[in-house]
Amino acid sequence: MNFTLILLMSFAVLILFLLVWALRDPRKRSRSDGDLDSNQGFGQRHVSYFPQVRQALAAEDFAFLSSRGSRELTRRMRKERRKIALAYLSCLREDFLKLWRLARVIAAMSPQVGVAQEIARLRLGLAFSLRYEMIRIQFFFGFAPLPELGSLSDLVSRLSIRLETAMQNLGERAALASRLASSLDDGHGLDTP
Amino acid sequence: MSGFPHPVLWLWAFSVVVQLFVLALLFLKGNFRKLPYFTGYVALNICQAGFLLFVYVHSWSNPATPGTLAWTSECITLVVQALATTEILEITLRPYQGIWGLGWRALTVTSGIVVLLVALAARGHWVAARWFELDRGYHLTFAAALIACLLLVRYYSIPVPSAYKMLLGGFCFFSCTEIIVNTLLQAYFQRDFFLHAAAWQLVSMSSFVVALFVWAAALWKPLPVENRQAASSSDAEYQRLSPQINEDLRRLNEKLLRLWKLEARPQ
Repeated sequence: MNFTLILLMSFAVLILFLLVWALRDPRKRSRSDGDLDSNQGFGQRHVSYFPQVRQALAAEDFAFLSSRGSRELTRRMRKERRKIALAYLSCLREDFLKLWRLARVIAAMSPQVGVAQEIARLRLGLAFSLRYEMIRIQFFFGFAPLPELGSLSDLVSRLSIRLETAMQNLGERAALASRLASSLDDGHGLDTP
Repeated sequence: MSGFPHPVLWLWAFSVVVQLFVLALLFLKGNFRKLPYFTGYVALNICQAGFLLFVYVHSWSNPATPGTLAWTSECITLVVQALATTEILEITLRPYQGIWGLGWRALTVTSGIVVLLVALAARGHWVAARWFELDRGYHLTFAAALIACLLLVRYYSIPVPSAYKMLLGGFCFFSCTEIIVNTLLQAYFQRDFFLHAAAWQLVSMSSFVVALFVWAAALWKPLPVENRQAASSSDAEYQRLSPQINEDLRRLNEKLLRLWKLEARPQ
C-alpha cells in the first residue's frame, strides 16, 4: 500500500471519528468546558476571588518565614502556594472559556459573521489553551509572579463585565423583537400615525 | 445480470425494498414537504436501480457500454445527493444567517482544497479504473465539506434536531465507507480488480443499506416543525463587539505569555 492510499484511508477514518464527535449530544460534554449553564452564575466569577488569593500568596509571609530560618515550614508553604496558584489558574481558564463561548453565542446570533474575526478568535482561544498548559507545567517547577497573575485576573474581569452588558442588550433586543412578532401575529399590527 | 453472484443480487433487491420503505415513510409522515431534494434523492436511487436492471439485462454490442451507462447514472445520483445534503444543512442553519454564510464559505474552501488534493493524488494512477478514482474523489470532497459544516455547527453550539443529525450522519458514513472500500480494493486487488468487483458491490451496498436504516429511523416520526428562531442581534452589534472581544482576548493572551516568560526566568 503506497503513501497516498494510506493517507486516504487515514483521512476517511479521521472523518468518521470527527463525525461521531460532532454529532455527539452537547449535553454530554464536560462541565468544566466553560459551560454557561453551570450553577455558578455569570456574575460570580473566580477572578473576583483574586484579593483572597493575593493575600494567601503574600510575599511578606514568605520573607518572614525565610528570615526565621524555618526550612521545613518554608518548603511546605511554597508547596501550598503552588497548589493555590494552580487552582486559581485553572479557575481563570474556566472564566476565559465561559467568555470565549459567550463571544461565539454573540457571533451565532448575528446576521453577518466576519471570517477574519472568527478565525482570529479561534486562534486566540487555541493560543490561550496552549499557554495555559505551559504555565501550568512551569508552576510545578517554580512560582508565578503575583502582579502578573493579578493583571490577568483584571483583564478577565473587564472582559466579562463588557460581555455581560452586551448580552443584556442582546437579551432586551430579542425580547422586544419577540413581543413585536407576537403582536403582529395577533393581528394588532403596529400603531401607525 | 447473471454475471453477478447471488449475494449481490439479493442485497441489491433488499436495498431497493428498504429504499421503497424510506420513500413511503417520507410520504406517509409528510416529510417530503420539508425535504423535497432528499425525497428526490431516494426516488432517484430507486429509478437508478430500475435503469441498471435494464442496462445489465440488455445485450450490448460494445461491452464497455453498460459500465459507462451505470457510472453516468451514478453521477446524476451523486449530484442530487449533494443537493439533498445542502438542503438539510440549510434547514438546520436557517435561523443563523451569519453562520450559514460562514458555512457556505467553509464548504467552498474545503471542497476546493480536497478536489485539488484528489486531482494531485490521482494523477497518472490506475487509468483503467478512472471511474473508481472519480467516485472516491467525490466522496472524499463530500465527506470533508460535510464534516467542516458539522464542526462549525458544533463550534457555535447550534442545536440540531436528532432526526437531521441522523440524516447527515447517514450520508457521511456512506461516503467514508466508500472511500475506505475503494482504497482497500485498489491497494490489494489492483491488478485483478475486476475479479473482485462483486466484493466491492457487496460492501458498498451494505454500507448504503446501513445508511438507509439510519434514515428510516430518523424519518419514523414527522420531522420537527421549524419554529426555532434565533434571537438575532443587529449586524452593527456584532461589528462593534467582535473586534473588542478579540482585542481583549489578545491582551489576555499577551499577559499569559508575559507570565509564562517571567515564570521561565531562573530564580
